[in-house]
Amino acid sequence: MTDDHTETRKRDDTNRMDELVPDDPRDRVAGETVRSDGGTVDSPFETTSSVEETRGDRLDRFLEGYARTPWSIMRQDWRALVGLSILGVYLLVATLGVYLVEPSHPADGPQLLGAFQNWEYPLGTTSSGRDVLADAVHSTPSILIMMASGALFTIGVGTAFGVVAGYKGGMVDTVLSTVTDVFINIPGLPLVIVLATLLSDWINNPVALGVLLAIAAWAGLARAIRSQVLTIRNESFIESARAIDLSTRWILTKEILPQLMPYIVVNMVNAARTIIFAAVALYFLGVLPYSDANWGVMLNTAYEAGALYRPEAYHWLLVPMVAISGIAVGLILLAQSLDRVFNPRARARHQGGEEEEPMEPETDDTTDVMQV
Amino acid sequence: MTITGSDATADAPEEDVAIRLRDTSVYFGMDRGRSMVLNGVDADIRRGEVLGVIGESGSGKSMFASALLDAVPEPGVTTGEVTYYPEEGEPVPVTDLSKAELRSLRWEEISMVFQGAMSSFNPVVTIRTHFVETLSAHDYDVDRGLARATDLLADLYLDPERMLESYPHELSGGMKQRVLIALSLVLDPEVLVMDEPTAALDLLMQRSIISLLEEIKEKHDLTIVFITHDLPLVADLADRLAVLYAFEFAEIGPAEEVLETPAHPYTRALLNATPNLSAPLEEMRPIEGESPDPVNIPKGCSYHPRCPLADEECQQIDPGPYDAGADHDVHCHHWEQSIEDLDVAFEETVDVGTRPSAAGRASGEPVVSLSDVEVTFGSANDGWFDFGDDETVTAVDGVSFDIYENDVLVLVGESGCGKTTLGKTAVGLQKPTGGTVEYRGRDVWEGASGSSLSDDEARRALQIVHQDPGSSLNSHQRVRTILEQPLKRWHPDLDGNDRRERILGMLEYVGITPPGDYVDRYPHQLSGGEKQRVALIRSMLINPDLILADEAVSALDVSLRVGMMDMMIDLQDSFNTSFLAVSHDLSNARYLAEKTGGRIGVMYLGELVEIGPAEQIIHDPQHPYTQALRWATPELGSETEETESPIRSIDIPDPKNPPSGCRYHTRCPEAREVCVEREPELVDVGEGASQPTACLRAQDDPDYRMSESITDDV
Amino acid sequence: MDWKLRRFGQAAFTVWAVMTLAFFLTRMMPGNPVDAFVAQVGPQLDNPQEAYEMAEIYMNINPEAPMHVAYWNYMTSMAVGDMGQSMSQNAPVAQIMAEAIPWTLFVMSWAIFIGFAVGISLGALMAYWEGTKFDTVLTGYATIITSIPFYVLALLLLITFAYRLGWFPTSGRRPEGVTAGFNLPFIFGIIHHAALPVFSMFVASGVASLTMRGNSIRVLGEDYLRVARLRGLPDRTIAVRYIARNAILPMYTGLMIAIGSMFGGAVVLEEIFTYRGMGYYMIQAVRARDYPLMMGAFTIITIAVVIALLVADLTYGKIDPRAGNEGNDAF
Repeated sequence: MTDDHTETRKRDDTNRMDELVPDDPRDRVAGETVRSDGGTVDSPFETTSSVEETRGDRLDRFLEGYARTPWSIMRQDWRALVGLSILGVYLLVATLGVYLVEPSHPADGPQLLGAFQNWEYPLGTTSSGRDVLADAVHSTPSILIMMASGALFTIGVGTAFGVVAGYKGGMVDTVLSTVTDVFINIPGLPLVIVLATLLSDWINNPVALGVLLAIAAWAGLARAIRSQVLTIRNESFIESARAIDLSTRWILTKEILPQLMPYIVVNMVNAARTIIFAAVALYFLGVLPYSDANWGVMLNTAYEAGALYRPEAYHWLLVPMVAISGIAVGLILLAQSLDRVFNPRARARHQGGEEEEPMEPETDDTTDVMQV
Repeated sequence: MTITGSDATADAPEEDVAIRLRDTSVYFGMDRGRSMVLNGVDADIRRGEVLGVIGESGSGKSMFASALLDAVPEPGVTTGEVTYYPEEGEPVPVTDLSKAELRSLRWEEISMVFQGAMSSFNPVVTIRTHFVETLSAHDYDVDRGLARATDLLADLYLDPERMLESYPHELSGGMKQRVLIALSLVLDPEVLVMDEPTAALDLLMQRSIISLLEEIKEKHDLTIVFITHDLPLVADLADRLAVLYAFEFAEIGPAEEVLETPAHPYTRALLNATPNLSAPLEEMRPIEGESPDPVNIPKGCSYHPRCPLADEECQQIDPGPYDAGADHDVHCHHWEQSIEDLDVAFEETVDVGTRPSAAGRASGEPVVSLSDVEVTFGSANDGWFDFGDDETVTAVDGVSFDIYENDVLVLVGESGCGKTTLGKTAVGLQKPTGGTVEYRGRDVWEGASGSSLSDDEARRALQIVHQDPGSSLNSHQRVRTILEQPLKRWHPDLDGNDRRERILGMLEYVGITPPGDYVDRYPHQLSGGEKQRVALIRSMLINPDLILADEAVSALDVSLRVGMMDMMIDLQDSFNTSFLAVSHDLSNARYLAEKTGGRIGVMYLGELVEIGPAEQIIHDPQHPYTQALRWATPELGSETEETESPIRSIDIPDPKNPPSGCRYHTRCPEAREVCVEREPELVDVGEGASQPTACLRAQDDPDYRMSESITDDV
Repeated sequence: MDWKLRRFGQAAFTVWAVMTLAFFLTRMMPGNPVDAFVAQVGPQLDNPQEAYEMAEIYMNINPEAPMHVAYWNYMTSMAVGDMGQSMSQNAPVAQIMAEAIPWTLFVMSWAIFIGFAVGISLGALMAYWEGTKFDTVLTGYATIITSIPFYVLALLLLITFAYRLGWFPTSGRRPEGVTAGFNLPFIFGIIHHAALPVFSMFVASGVASLTMRGNSIRVLGEDYLRVARLRGLPDRTIAVRYIARNAILPMYTGLMIAIGSMFGGAVVLEEIFTYRGMGYYMIQAVRARDYPLMMGAFTIITIAVVIALLVADLTYGKIDPRAGNEGNDAF
């Protein structure tokens, strides 16, 4: 029906049932009578309202958009519930747990006590007599901080590079893309190891370390976002926004960013996982300086103590492993379900409930093969 | 004749029938209930005929096509009988076949061409592979089959060698569609089912394919079922026409009879709603109401909620087929009254006067004035790592025109001719690489940095409404947010409630009621027409002087287009806005331009080849290309006579490397040697009103008269 | 053609950028290795000048030279393959690396190949049986395997199959007491040693299978698949030529990025298995504060990744006819 040969992007709104069943008749306008009085008398241009908008109205709208609707979608998704519960547990441990469990010191208890044998040391002790549970618990805050700062940095830099390069185009794009491509080509862990070794004086807190770990992680996201922005930039609604002369800021943040939100959020969660994996790996290798307990350090000391071939030390090795994998499971489940939260179709379903559309098949568009 | 109701038997039919359907239904089980997308249809498809099936989107026409091959996509269920009668041998019950039997029926006996030619090919293998794998899957001799494919491709005016070696993405839409036709015929089927085979193509290409189909049908002795929403398109081709409404046939009969004395009120309404070139504009009107939901089809006659003749009988009793003439059946209790009381537009040919011509209003200062505008894409703006030999495309090449207060100008041309680029240049969304665009005498790009205007006044005054209602609204924003933005930007003095009032008023004004309901919706909760209106009032809210309507109605259903255009015209009257419309469809262009007394400009490969008042362009086109477009626009009137195609080559030349001289000379039937060398200027050749045309022949140029023809005997 | 040229230029640019970064880190950071080296070695020598000379031998950087001269010398030595001298291994860095490269390449290419092959096959099966128990179970499996870091899997494999069951060696890269060369015991021994590191990268199959599943389901809904079925093509053709090819192609970019991170992972893996490849030497260098070896290993690993990505990019055009002309998306 159109002469438009350019393929419009297949977006989430072509849902599969729509293709099977010939167009939904709801998509048809009533040929409603068009007012033909041609009158300018009642021009709606001049209308103003007699009631002032209250702050309450605005707050209400804000809450509706950013809190209530997402929550009502997530509430119905078991992945979100499980994922959030797992992360919630870690958060509780990091905030309350550290007060409940005394920090451990060498020779606090017997050497290499097994797990579940003595309730004073529920998860056993290390060869130097440290309480494994206490070590695991006290590792959590710094790991979470590292994770958050790294994920935010990845998202921040990746999105900024991608959006600006994609929207601005021209020379700006060339420069930013070149930088991005260089970073994509540099393998992450070795770069981080080199930097951590040479800059060890500067990385003495979890935030800095998180940022350092993210240096190797943002480029893939930046490139993916750039190519998405290139597509979105040509969409009609962006052109309309330019015609209306909305500010570039508005176009970037309100027109383009929401389109990328699912992608960004899912990648933030994935980035958090990558950061944790990398951080623990580096501590495990003994490359990073450390002062306090840490899952990676626990792995390292257990490994050094020969836990691999000493069954009596297995618990020492297993506790940090479970801790890492557990938070990763939580993050993955959360990423899978977050995909849906930002989908406008899902949103509408949870607002009025007047539409009953078949559930879409899960799209894995937003997951990527970046993380290993 | 064909529709005999319930006494259907599998006995051999008296007439030479190829496919017989009896009480055939297709349904989908959905949460809301059973979705009947084809509702107990009876039909006979006769051997050797072309049956045109007309239906709007959502009428069940695609399901009808699929049912003929028992190819309804999962989880759809087909019930009833579909029987195929081969020329020799036993009848085949299509719906009861095993998988292996179906495999040999499909493509060998009954073949199909889909609507989506763009996506009907596997993108990673060559066209040749498509042919070879089809042949070997059916145990056909591959060499002989490829020879046949070569013939078919050549018959469709394609270069067979080049086509076979190409990958799908290397072909244009028109080429893909023709290759798909060849692919569907490679096993020499008896019946060819075509579902909207030309919907995505330009008019000229559509019309060319239709002409080719006629030849192919004769040559290969085919039975064709041609399914489309575009009634005028099949009018010439079809022997019989069947009109689908709400998943049932409303009317079926000989093509001429259905067009001249349509008996069903829906057919009559549909004819009136279809923009065309000859019918008086006053007679064109949209159909009231909407077609029913497949889950909830009205009892009795499914058309009764929209029908002006409906009475109690219609609400209760499903109208069986009535004989409206030999071979002409209609499902309407009141078909006789329908013929008597309901007018059909094109029966009369009286042309009533329109609004005062835009030329009359053209006296004042132009609102927007383009002079010698040129837009080039793909230049070396890439910087550092771009050591490619850049292939530049000149999308717009030296075009000038003025648009006045309350003016309407419609640009017409094939896709890729630069009409949209030109439109965007005129409203300051595309920076020209040459020439100037002036708004009320000021160069809009003066002092602009980058790709946005710095002149606030011009920015507000020049707005755009897009082609695709789906992507013209941000899917993540509610209608309220979408409409608030222009107000916030240009009327910062209004507070939230003022804006709300204004938006509600505007929504109501364009017939979106109740507006309070709609402001909180997301775009995907609106219908196509509603989205289009929201997009239109978003531009209107800031009171612009000129709106670019980029194919604003092409994406809508036929029956809605007239309504949408009427609304645009109405808004223009109320708000003194000018329109620059872009359309590939001459009938739509005519409706909009003629009704407002506006002009039509015809573009070809980046150049404006003819511009003038709508009436003159339509009825007295000077440029051969305009004449070709005119030829390609299907006519409903009875006076249609089959004419020779006025173009020498179906495909548009590569715009990266446009022909020398007159760019149209490669396709022009009147081209002479001088046309190859000399580029014609736009010169007024109109009698009376101005009608500048860039054609040496129309200008009666002496060089042209002296020159030799280069057409080898068309 | 010009796209390939452009891609080569980009690869060269990356290598240059990494070398420059290496120079910057070695020479210009406050407290950089060169200064540290001079400060450490200088007092032990009679002639402080000797410390500078030694710095130049070890790190290709003469601390006394002006910065641009030092930079030029550094880059030219790197260009001819002189990467300095390892302090801990007492051998030229280039020699150590040259000896280590094949081992890392061997393990990593198998790891990538097996990880993706398994992931793609599983994903295809999951899509085929979409919505069944089988699909649910495999999706759950893929989710869990994705949440295990590869080094955790490596440790678990090491405990189970090397220490407990004794099926595989616990460390090393080649069998003892077998003459190196093209003989069966040696080849078998190499595979035996590489098996656990390769399977540690199995975690990559999790994400790959989920992506493949999604892509396949999408292709199943495409028009061309419906047409292919109507044309009566055999199921095998449809599965391989239609579904698999079209579902795998979009994963190519992901695969390329995975190559980078898997080479990075080699550092950890080789350390765990004491598998003496590039990563192993890099960690040894870090521990011994042997900066020339560390920077050399880093540079070489990066170059390996750059070349791998370049090859992958250039071959992509061979598989996907749509690439090549518009390579912008592919690299």
